[in-house]
Amino acid sequence: MHHAHIDKFAYQDSPIHRLDSRVKFIVVMVFTFLVISLPVDSFGILFCYAVWPFAILVIGRIPLKFAFKQVLIVSPFILFLALSYPFYERGLVRTEFGPWNFEISLGWVKCFTISGKFTVTVLALIALVSTTKFSNLLSGLGRLGFPKLLVMQLGFLYRYIFVLIDKAQHILMARSSRRMRSLGVKREVKVAASMAGSLLIRSIDSAEKINIAMQARGFSGTWKSVNEQKFRRGDLLFALVCGAFIMALHFIVRPFLI
Amino acid sequence: MSKAIEIRNYCYKYSDSTVALKDINLSVEHGERVVLIGANGAGKSTLLLAMGGFVKGEGEIIIDGVELKRKNLKKIRTVIGSCLENPDDQLFMPTLFDDIAFGPMNMGCDADEVKKRVEQALATVGLGSMGHKAGHHLSAGQKRAAALATILSMSPSVITLDEPDGSLDPRNRNNITALLKGLEQTLIIATCNMNFAAAIADRAVLIDDGCIAADGVAEEILYDRELMVGYGLEVPGGSG
Repeated sequence: MHHAHIDKFAYQDSPIHRLDSRVKFIVVMVFTFLVISLPVDSFGILFCYAVWPFAILVIGRIPLKFAFKQVLIVSPFILFLALSYPFYERGLVRTEFGPWNFEISLGWVKCFTISGKFTVTVLALIALVSTTKFSNLLSGLGRLGFPKLLVMQLGFLYRYIFVLIDKAQHILMARSSRRMRSLGVKREVKVAASMAGSLLIRSIDSAEKINIAMQARGFSGTWKSVNEQKFRRGDLLFALVCGAFIMALHFIVRPFLI
Repeated sequence: MSKAIEIRNYCYKYSDSTVALKDINLSVEHGERVVLIGANGAGKSTLLLAMGGFVKGEGEIIIDGVELKRKNLKKIRTVIGSCLENPDDQLFMPTLFDDIAFGPMNMGCDADEVKKRVEQALATVGLGSMGHKAGHHLSAGQKRAAALATILSMSPSVITLDEPDGSLDPRNRNNITALLKGLEQTLIIATCNMNFAAAIADRAVLIDDGCIAADGVAEEILYDRELMVGYGLEVPGGSG
């Protein structure tokens, strides 16, 4: 079966793609932390912060349509949360947005800010995974000192999530081909639970086979990898430019706009 | 000179006491291409797992002069390469390069040696330019070839393969047949496809209900219609 992969542009070549994954990861983490720490009424300044992920996406030649599609795919949960604010935070606040000065309920302010923060940080994350091969990202995490077990599990997740989706789709197809009518909520729930159980058992079975495949190739519990990434002058330049941009936003533009 | 594989009086029971292998005696010379044939559930895959030391039964298994024991497992696995039935189980790393490098790295090879082995293995299976690809980006035929490359990079003298022709179209099956025929290693292949078996094997071992029912020259066993049909199989090129 065909799956849309979040990293399908990671194999392109661009100045951003050639950067060391560790530098990109650290910059994205710092950027994300600063965006998340913005106060609740900082909707306006989020537009300034959004410049950074857009710049990375454009220089990395990642189609913006693809990036926004990915944002939409992961947005339902956050949107549900954000849209709930206007219902219970009804107090009015005076706010400024560019040249406009108006009154709006605090709930809507929070809703816009949360949605904005979410969009900007997810765009930054998409910029990271679309310009970095997942294997490089994993080896970068390993070299940054992340626990080996966590890095290994992320690797398995990336490799097997599509296999698991395939298995789930096969189970759903098998069900659809024999489902002629609704069985009622109680029995449908029972069937869904059986399907989830079947998927779990198949996953455990696969895990056992993978364990055999690892042992067959001499795995004894220590994860080893060949790493070809090197920290170059371009990485330092990228880190300095990004650092300067983020610091300027945080210490100069932000106090001015908020 | 020691044999590639020597199995003496080997028996194995599953945890629910079902007997999977009964009194197996098998000797394989270096460079032989042996197919294990038999109906589903006959014990072919279990026998391959036993050769790799993944299941522990009673009896003696000697691989290239080294007795299969817990303390010898690391050494044994540099001698015998096991290729599983489902290539998705074999390809567990983010990229093909990492997957093929996994074995040599665990063997303690340095980075240059690992790269050399990966490139060689990829070239042997015809996937020279695909090292950067992820397992889930490969076709079924490419996955089979890649799974074999993960074993070849460890340069084992014996390779066991479980249904390497499974779910392949004729072109890909021919490719994998040609690839296997070009290998110098001792091959032990479990298969239910008699055409594939006839195309590749020097010797055939028929397994039925956990026992060796027949063992001999591939052509004689595979084209013995009475024998094959008697064990629920078919002769190559026909439906029995």
